Order: sequence, then structure tokens, then C-alpha cells
Amino acid sequence: MRILVSIDDTDTMKMDGVEVRGTGELAGLIIKAIEKQGWGRCAPITRHQLLIHPDIAYTSHNSAMCFAADINKSFLKPLIDFASDFLARESAPDADPGLCVAVTERISRPGWLIGFGYMAKNIVLTKEKAYDLAQRLDIHLSEHGGTGQGVIGALAGAGLRLGGNDGRFKGKLKIKAENDMITAGEICSQGKVDMVKCLEEGIVLQDDDVVRLGDHIKPVWLYGKSVLLVYPLKEEVTNRACWQTYSKSQLRDF
Amino acid sequence: MWRITDKEQREFSGGKEDWAVVARIAENCREFKVDDEDEMVADEPISCYNCRFRRWTSDSFICCK
Repeated sequence: MRILVSIDDTDTMKMDGVEVRGTGELAGLIIKAIEKQGWGRCAPITRHQLLIHPDIAYTSHNSAMCFAADINKSFLKPLIDFASDFLARESAPDADPGLCVAVTERISRPGWLIGFGYMAKNIVLTKEKAYDLAQRLDIHLSEHGGTGQGVIGALAGAGLRLGGNDGRFKGKLKIKAENDMITAGEICSQGKVDMVKCLEEGIVLQDDDVVRLGDHIKPVWLYGKSVLLVYPLKEEVTNRACWQTYSKSQLRDF
Repeated sequence: MWRITDKEQREFSGGKEDWAVVARIAENCREFKVDDEDEMVADEPISCYNCRFRRWTSDSFICCK
């Protein structure tokens, strides 16, 4: 079965001399444990930006982290138990961690979950709303310390991942290329990008289109795919590559 | 450059797109520490926008140092 595992609000502001693991790092450690136990195979983590608002007690940026996993049904409970204990143990002492585990084929109203995700990007939501929706959709939602407000972001993260059109992938992608020049086809053949796309022109690059790689190669989650975004280069910049990968600042809104 | 909020925190008055100014501030800041790669948004590595001690607000960010 395919599941979505989403976590939020596991960290606190890092101060001098105190190293606090970020939410993304904890999600990565949960993946490692799942695969080490042989419970299943996990897909890469996506980061989903939620609303920044004075009434929300986020740490510094209010984002949720989510990944999909294909597991045997019998491992669902052990996985939830493990992730719950792990968050309770490894989250920062002042954090308000939340865990969501959704079995995708059991979600009777996917639109409700996706809608919740987009609401969490635009309005202030409550824990009660999150628990109510999770119960209606048979989704595991639990809190593991502090106020437990992280359940809102955790549920929203699952909805946004399920929707397929929000967030950017955690970590930088390493793509092998000579002189940082590579064709779109070669990028996709390396396995971590499904599509190279230019949003400005509204086109998907052809296999033989040449891309110049920047130093920050990070796909986004669009159309339910891993999409590497590029923008058109002016001809005089290079006589070979016509496209350049997005920079950090260009990726900020994803 | 900074305004003091109701909670007496320092909020940057230049908003979220003042790339050159926050790079200059961070270059001269002894407290600057780079955040996780996933939370970096400025192309200049040393920038308040990439600092682990910034807390985003609706319009800008608060410097927590």
C-alpha cells in the first residue's frame, strides 16, 4: 500500500551552541529507519510552505515535510508506532510536533485533504479542524509534545503532497554533466527528475534541448511529478545552452 | 532599516525582496549563521534571508539575535 508520512513543528529556533535537527532531517531519519527495517521503499521528501501569520506559533518558516512510501499493510502500525516514538524522542524540547500517516487508497475524499492543505497556506486553522478531518478520512494524526499544533501542518503537508502541485524537494540534486551543460533527456535519464519545464514559456523541454545547470539544482513537485524548472537564456550568453535552471530566489515561491 | 514590533523584536523594514541590502547586513553581522540548505532563499550565501536566526513574518523577517 502507498502511504504519505508528513511531519511538522519538530524544531525550535537554533541558538548558539545548541544544534537542533530540522524537520527535514528528522523526516530523512524516519525514511532511513523504514528502509533499514525492510518495511518498504520511500520516495524523496517534499517541503511545503504554510501560512506565515502572527497567530501561528511556527519556529522560523512554518513548513511541513512529507514523503510517500510503499509498504506492506502489516507494517503500517509498527511504522506509526516507530514514527510517533521517534518524534516524541527526537523533536526539540520546546517543539509542538505532529505526525500524519495517510493510506492514499483509503482516502474517500482526496479533495477534502488537498483543500485542507491549501487552506493551511492561506488561513489560520485549528487543531480541532485537523483532527475532525483526519477522523472523517481515516487518517492517522497524532501529536507528540508541546501544544501539538504541528498536527495542522502535518495534515496539510499530506494534502499538499497528495495534490501534486505544491512544494520543493528537500536537498540539492547532483546531476553529472560536463561543463554544467546537459540535455533535458540526460537529466531525466538520471532518475530523479521526471520533466524539465519552462513555466514562462509554458513548455516541456525536448530530450535534446540543452540546459545549463546552476549551483542549486532542486526539483519542485508539480503535476504529481518531480519537475526541474528552467528559464530561457538570451542567445548571446551561450551558443549552446538555451535554458538555465532556477536559482534559490526563483524557487522561493514553491 | 529595522522597526521595533509590539513584542519589541527587530523586524527588517525592507521586506522580502531587498536582496542586496540583507546581503550587506549579513556580511557585517557577527551573529550570522547559515540555515539548512532547504530554507535558504537568497542566491547570495551570506544574507539575512539565509540566516538561521531570522524568523519570517507576513511582510519581512525578524532578526532573533
